Amino acid sequence: MRIVVAEDLYLLRDGMVRLIEAYGHQVVATAATGPETLTALLEWRPDVAVVDVRMPPTQKDEGLRAALAARREVPGLPVFVLSQYVEQLYARELLADGSGGVGYFLKDSVFDADQFIDALERVAAGGTAMDPAVIAKLLSSGTSHRRLEALTEREHSVLGLMAEGLSNQAIGQRLFLSESAISKYTTSLFGKLGLTDDDSGNRRVLAVLAYLNSP
Amino acid sequence: MGQVGAWWVRAGRGFVRACVVAAVALLVPCVWAAAVALGIRWGAGNPWSWVAPVVLVCGGTLGLSRPVCRTVRRLVERWTGTAVPDGYRQAPPVAQLSTGYWWNGFGYERTRRDALMDQRLRVRWKDPANWRDLRFTAVLPFTAGAVACLPPSGVVVAALGSFGLPVRVLGLLVAVACAPYAWRCLEPVAVRFLRPSAAMALADRVAELTAQRADATVAQAAEIRRIERDLHDGAQARLVSLGLSLATAEKLMATDPERARALMREARDGATASLTELRELVRGINPPVLGDRGLADAVRALALDSPLETTVEADLPAGLDPPIESALYFAVAELLANAAKHARATRARITLGQDPTGLVVRVEDDGRGGAVPRADGGLAGLRRRLAAFDGTLEITSPEGGPTSMRVRVPCASS
Repeated sequence: MRIVVAEDLYLLRDGMVRLIEAYGHQVVATAATGPETLTALLEWRPDVAVVDVRMPPTQKDEGLRAALAARREVPGLPVFVLSQYVEQLYARELLADGSGGVGYFLKDSVFDADQFIDALERVAAGGTAMDPAVIAKLLSSGTSHRRLEALTEREHSVLGLMAEGLSNQAIGQRLFLSESAISKYTTSLFGKLGLTDDDSGNRRVLAVLAYLNSP
Repeated sequence: MGQVGAWWVRAGRGFVRACVVAAVALLVPCVWAAAVALGIRWGAGNPWSWVAPVVLVCGGTLGLSRPVCRTVRRLVERWTGTAVPDGYRQAPPVAQLSTGYWWNGFGYERTRRDALMDQRLRVRWKDPANWRDLRFTAVLPFTAGAVACLPPSGVVVAALGSFGLPVRVLGLLVAVACAPYAWRCLEPVAVRFLRPSAAMALADRVAELTAQRADATVAQAAEIRRIERDLHDGAQARLVSLGLSLATAEKLMATDPERARALMREARDGATASLTELRELVRGINPPVLGDRGLADAVRALALDSPLETTVEADLPAGLDPPIESALYFAVAELLANAAKHARATRARITLGQDPTGLVVRVEDDGRGGAVPRADGGLAGLRRRLAAFDGTLEITSPEGGPTSMRVRVPCASS
């Protein structure tokens, strides 16, 4: 994969590049400020871009704004946003255009390199990957909490992992269950929520996230 | 018949009140008159005979002005219910120092009794309210005092035998006619001349600001201590243990790779845990989203994370002062948390707006109400923190709900 890394702290940027290259992917460009990020994204059109939220020159959410601007120019351009903190507000903004190819994670997620690269590849393929912290907040917020009361505990955790962007197979591995058991759970919980489960790929994830995000 | 009876009761009560007002108002003029009489009796031509009367006048006026004012204030409050603030300077507490001496805000004294006495004299002597009291004592006899004298003097005229019958009847008529009203003049005069002057209001404001500054300094020091302790016990300790795990893992790498791997996994978990702790700490100091996006979006983020169904309406001016943004953010966070925790609400509505007086933030919920600020509770603390910005917190929370909290901060950006 051709990857752009946008991160203002040299140590983190360097570490990220080494990690990505250790998994056999190619870092085509790096950026250290918001405007640089936007230029690099539009110029290189990478398979996926790893973008930090807070960046110079304002030290505000420059990175996120650059990523959103690039996606307006190139719809569906895969971006993988990394941050020291996660906000549902930012997750909503990233998902708002509904075209997928979005990842939003805490920086801690790079500690588990296998899962990090796996999520990165998923986003590059047009999928969605969300940090468990984002999903936990999403599931416990006011409206969701009331809507999800009908679900059993197991269905609840399956829904969470689904919202993180995992496939049935991956969910099964996490919960030590067979793939067919997972699809049974998904059918039942989709029935309870009134959604139609006609797809097991990215469209399903987007539908779940849209459902959870709707007011 | 009942009406006439009621009128007589009012006239009787008014007559007594007028007599009281006249007596209070004429107290100081009486002292002056007595002094003059004394001087004349001792010999008007001799300057030495006036020494004692002058001392009597000065001492009497100074000494009586405050009791007269206090009495008038008490009478007005008792008769009309109008409270006139006195604005007298309050003595600060007296404290014993490690040297054994007592500090009373002005100087050191050997004993507590001396310190208190010295303090009382100095506070009394330097109080700007003294000037107002003197002025009031001078104004009173010519205004409310003169009017209140009417009924008693009418009665006196009627009672004295030296006037003709028509004059005595007229005197009685005047006394009876104005008896219910003559004392009422006291209220407007007291309200106009007895309230704290601009200088006193300023002095009060300075005292208030001094107290707020002291509060803010203490709060800041406590906050810094909390941060230091959190870092010391949390992240710092975790980093030390992380370094230890890594050092041990390095040592074991050759001999026991399996244990080395376990140690490294442990180190990774430690790093995640310390990041989580640091994130919570940072959020408590200054939420990143507030710095990134400003108050409106930060409150929206707060609403999204709240377990309540929360709607946010925001109409805020751009370029608010960061300290005010931060204070309002934490105020909303606390009120929203209260709504979820104590009020058992399910829905909340947050309105951020401005009116001509400044910024107004309203947090309403559908909970069970009954919120009362307790001395050491969160709402009282919130009020104290808002006071640093001259902000206020209005609580409308009837038993059974719903609760509406309104935070007001004078706008500094406009």
